[in-house]
Amino acid sequence: MSRPGFVLEVDDRTPPVIVHEGEGFRLEQFPLGTRVIYPPEALPAVPDVGAAIMQALLHPEDSEPLPALLRPGMRLTIAFDDISLPLPPMRKPDIRQRIIEAVLTMAAEAGVDDVELISANALHRRLTAAELKSIVGERVFRSFYPQGLLYNHDAEDPAALTHVGLTDQGEDVEINRRAAESDLLVYVNINLVAMDGGHKSVPVGLASYKSLRHHHNSKTMVRSHSFMDHTKSHLHHSAWRMGRLLADHLKIFTIETTLNNNVFPSPYEFLLKREWEWSVKDQASMLAVRRGLAVAPDRLRHKVFHDLRAPYGLTGVHAGETEAVHEKTIANVHRQQLVEVQGQSDVLVMGVPYLGPYNVDSTMNPILATCMGLGYFFNSYRGQPLVRRGGAVILYHPVKPEFNQLHHPSYVDFYEEVLAESTDPAVIEAKYEQQYATDPWYIHLYRTSHAYHGVHPFYMWYWAAHAMDHVQDVVWVGGDRQAVRRLGFRAASTLADALEMVSGTVGGSPSITYMHNPPHLIADVR
Amino acid sequence: MTDQQVADRPDASRLVATDVSPAAQSTRLADRLAGKRILLTGVTGFVGEALLHRILTQLPTTDVVVLVRPKGSARGNDRIASLLGKPIFREVVEAAGGAEALIGSRITVLEGDLSAVPDLPDDLDSVVHCAGDVSFDPPVDEAFAVNVVGTQHLLDRLAPLGPNVHYVHVSTAYVAGRRRGSIPEGSLDHDVDLDAELGWGLAQRQILENRSRTAEHLTRLRAEAEREHGRAGLLSAASSTEQRRRAWVDDQLVKTGTERARSLGWTDAYTFTKALGERVVERFAAAAGAPVTIVRPSIIESALATPHPGWIEGFKMAEPLILAFGRGELPEFPASADSTVDIVPVDHVVAAIVAVLGERPEPGHPRWFHVSSGGRNPLTFSRLYQVVREYFSRHPFEVGDRGAARLPEWRLPGAQQVERLLATSERAHKVADYLVTHSPRADRTRELARKLEQQRRRLEFLRRYIDLYREYAQAELSFNDANTLALYRRLDPADQAAFGFDTAVIDWEYYFAEIHCPAVTEPIRRMDRLRRARRGSSTPALRRVEADSGDSSTIAAVFDMDGTLLSSNVIETYLWMRLQGLSTAERAAEIGRVAARLPGFIHAERRERSAFLRSVYRQYDGARLADLDELADRVLASHVLARLSPAAVRRIREHRAAGHVTVLLTGAIRPLTRPLRTLFDHIEAAELAVDDRGVCTGFLASPPLVGESRSAWLRQWATENGVDLGRSFGYADSHSDLPLLQTVGNPVAVRPDITLYRRAKKSHWPIVDWSSSTAATRTLAPAGDPR
Repeated sequence: MSRPGFVLEVDDRTPPVIVHEGEGFRLEQFPLGTRVIYPPEALPAVPDVGAAIMQALLHPEDSEPLPALLRPGMRLTIAFDDISLPLPPMRKPDIRQRIIEAVLTMAAEAGVDDVELISANALHRRLTAAELKSIVGERVFRSFYPQGLLYNHDAEDPAALTHVGLTDQGEDVEINRRAAESDLLVYVNINLVAMDGGHKSVPVGLASYKSLRHHHNSKTMVRSHSFMDHTKSHLHHSAWRMGRLLADHLKIFTIETTLNNNVFPSPYEFLLKREWEWSVKDQASMLAVRRGLAVAPDRLRHKVFHDLRAPYGLTGVHAGETEAVHEKTIANVHRQQLVEVQGQSDVLVMGVPYLGPYNVDSTMNPILATCMGLGYFFNSYRGQPLVRRGGAVILYHPVKPEFNQLHHPSYVDFYEEVLAESTDPAVIEAKYEQQYATDPWYIHLYRTSHAYHGVHPFYMWYWAAHAMDHVQDVVWVGGDRQAVRRLGFRAASTLADALEMVSGTVGGSPSITYMHNPPHLIADVR
Repeated sequence: MTDQQVADRPDASRLVATDVSPAAQSTRLADRLAGKRILLTGVTGFVGEALLHRILTQLPTTDVVVLVRPKGSARGNDRIASLLGKPIFREVVEAAGGAEALIGSRITVLEGDLSAVPDLPDDLDSVVHCAGDVSFDPPVDEAFAVNVVGTQHLLDRLAPLGPNVHYVHVSTAYVAGRRRGSIPEGSLDHDVDLDAELGWGLAQRQILENRSRTAEHLTRLRAEAEREHGRAGLLSAASSTEQRRRAWVDDQLVKTGTERARSLGWTDAYTFTKALGERVVERFAAAAGAPVTIVRPSIIESALATPHPGWIEGFKMAEPLILAFGRGELPEFPASADSTVDIVPVDHVVAAIVAVLGERPEPGHPRWFHVSSGGRNPLTFSRLYQVVREYFSRHPFEVGDRGAARLPEWRLPGAQQVERLLATSERAHKVADYLVTHSPRADRTRELARKLEQQRRRLEFLRRYIDLYREYAQAELSFNDANTLALYRRLDPADQAAFGFDTAVIDWEYYFAEIHCPAVTEPIRRMDRLRRARRGSSTPALRRVEADSGDSSTIAAVFDMDGTLLSSNVIETYLWMRLQGLSTAERAAEIGRVAARLPGFIHAERRERSAFLRSVYRQYDGARLADLDELADRVLASHVLARLSPAAVRRIREHRAAGHVTVLLTGAIRPLTRPLRTLFDHIEAAELAVDDRGVCTGFLASPPLVGESRSAWLRQWATENGVDLGRSFGYADSHSDLPLLQTVGNPVAVRPDITLYRRAKKSHWPIVDWSSSTAATRTLAPAGDPR
């Protein structure tokens, strides 16, 4: 049985602990009394994945079994989460491949021959053929891709979108036409964190900008406390309204999966363990990896990290009616990630790792780093934030002003033009969002190349809006000074300096909490 | 002055009172010159302007006639009006009720110049000739034309007015040339054949122009030019050849003049022709029996008191050296520590001229006055060095943001050692320059080139000034100013205060520390402050493209592709296309084959860009054009877009937003431009020739657009499309694009190679660093996704 997460209080016997910072990590000696939150250890995996999938498809929640929904001559569409999940990417075979293969087998048995597979990438970049293949597997790829039946959702193709209606709050629900006009839409998800899944799958993943802007905006996002708790998130409330509207128009069969915390393969398992429990082998690996990274050129270091494939284990698969399924899914996620923490502290410390949802095979640019730290990690709480209102956040990341021009062309311009003028999410939204969202060049790149949509960097910034609103000070340890200044924050070279810098806000001996992730954890702050 | 006093002076017998009217009996200059009319030449110059100011302010009833050359569209009147607009004239102009009123009353403008002097008014009392070439290294023909012929022309017009006009000739003390010891105030002793030298000097330009056009000379210049500019095209090389020829002629004119001057005992063509000018004046005095005075100031510097302490116009002789020293750029100087630097403040010179005007010499017997300081109040070079050094250590220049400039320590080791040091530096620079020009383009090379360029400017500066001033800095002569001192002592005590020119009273420490150095460093400090405020470099920043009021659709923005928009090149893109679909072994073989050909490619590229492109495009032999297009869309798009510089794209989009026509002009083949087609209104690329099956022959359908053919194409295209090239923009990275950049009104150098970099610096074109992200190239390996 795996051990639950826990909160360590640093005392004089505590060894330095791992802090991730981009493509690397450091061992940090925290001040005495610092709380270090460790995630629960990896839950045991489901032993027979195939059987679990069959069980879910044949005995779904609040729904007829999948075979009963399939008939000859029907239009079947399978949509699936794109490459932003899971993180890091999963060692082959991908769980989505296993499920899609099972669904396709049942469809074939039922004589369904009008089947299309859509990557639900919303305004994310189009996946390359290789990436699609890595998700659906060789066999499915070969049978569907060449015929054009396996493709990316295009949120800017008017012919491929349908306006389904307005919610009771007047929100546009516009999604992929093929999905909307199918007799059955099967959605295959990986519920890596509590934020994902439920009605955030179809109404978001297959939507257009027109629909997304109702919940992806600074006002909604600053009021979502937090994204990891859909009952308290304005963003999710909106998605839920849209999902319920869609469910009235369209038969959706949701399949959700949950993974355990096995995110680092050998020889990086030491990153999953508690530092004082490292074996001699772990210590040796740690030293070897540290030495290696220190001398590796940037290119190699990037490759080492981005080639990591996680040996995840499946902790659950549920299928059927979206909300019923999601309830079970969330329970599984909580089982793996929830850690109970007593009260807030003055300072929250987080290490931003090399990877976020939007830089798979790409570069974590300053905006993505901000989104990762202040957007996702900061929001990884239930109840109340780990840091008190008016407190300080200290982040670790190099924040190099490097951008992938293929994937993030609008990010570069956002950084050079928008952030140079203002870093206030509301100001930015009012002044620039429309311009970037409707820019023909960005739309062209989004549709034909592998670029995130023009408006995407704005969403990244909005994700961080709640944190920026909540805390007084943000300091990046080891961050590029110019880049950090551009983001509207400050940079320090060491934790001690960072604490000195925030002492004006939180005093000379603040209470400190360090979130020891990845692997993911949700702090249940009482 | 009493009769007794007059009798005391040995030369007083030659003095004739200016007038016999009662006013003239007064000893005050203002009275003696009351109601007189004086012609001034060179009023737009330093001494002339100061003299005009003196007369207008301190001789209230004296009128002036000014001889002014029209300049461009500005008539003589306009030039004087704008001169009177300067701050020092404010009071007198206001008192007269405006510049126009002053020109109508006390000033008469006579339009003309020394090569064509108009008839002079016949009621003149005196003429002060202070026009002249003040540069020390003029081309020899100009030196003669201005200092000898110009003086002659003026005197020719003066002759008909008879012996009543007092002619005051402003010469220079350095007409003494390379003489040593005490120089008397008198006619210079030499037997140079004035007419022979004059004829020789004026003929030099034609002779050198002819010599510069000989076949062997032109062959050498053309070979040099083609070595440097061949890549840009033959016409560029031709225009560079012509530039070199002209520069050679100018250079030779200076050298010839200096050599001739030295062979006769003068330092340079300036002092030589000034001396001959004096001879012309002496001849005139003898022939016309006119009253003539020759005033010989030494080195004229900023004013001690009038119009205000430190007043100076433009940079004179010592300023460039003082400023360079203050910037820490003058490591050593070829002066002797004990040689005298003979400096006079401009107000002393002007006051002496006014005093001279107040006394009329006996007709036919010229008088000489040295206005100098070396005789009675010598300033040695080492003292000058200490004073200036002291000033700068108390008030240093803040160069850039690196704090105070470091001041060099001069040991004044003598001319030979300085010369050796300089020659060594010049040789080292030449070698470094060759290496940098021939090394591959990189940020570091460009930085090196920038430093070398700075070094070159400094060395050229040093060479020029050291050559120029060596003679003066080592001069061992002292000018006797007994006549001038006597003239001063004859002044009424009140005039001695108002028109002081006794240089013995100058406290050099005070003059340099409190007056001269602050005055000459002020413009530089102001510029430094401005530059700091802008935080900018010396190259102009690229301004944002704004839609202007005119018809923006007639403005084009022309972009080069490889190196400007993307960090990629023809060979790299070729490999990308080629390696698709090959097995690992085949890839290795292909890369090996291309690598083996690389030296040949590089050589072709150096020689001529189009030959290089042709040799690369030969590799496409046998490919199907349709396949290339498809391949470009499928794989090359990501390669190109990932390497695209974000700043470049922003710029293109700015142009589009402003309504400009965007044009991509490239020597690359058309399929390679496909990923960029949405950014441009027009793409002009190389077309691969295909046979009837659509298979590439490995040849191009037409010559690739490189070098001069780009500018030719652009002109043609602009005419056809009604585009105004003067308002258009051009962006390119390579020397071979120079003709293209010269065709448009707003050229921009993008990550330029060394030659283009230098050119852009020289022409003050914006230089931008549009780099593509290194992160982009990191995650993409050629020829396919690893997964």
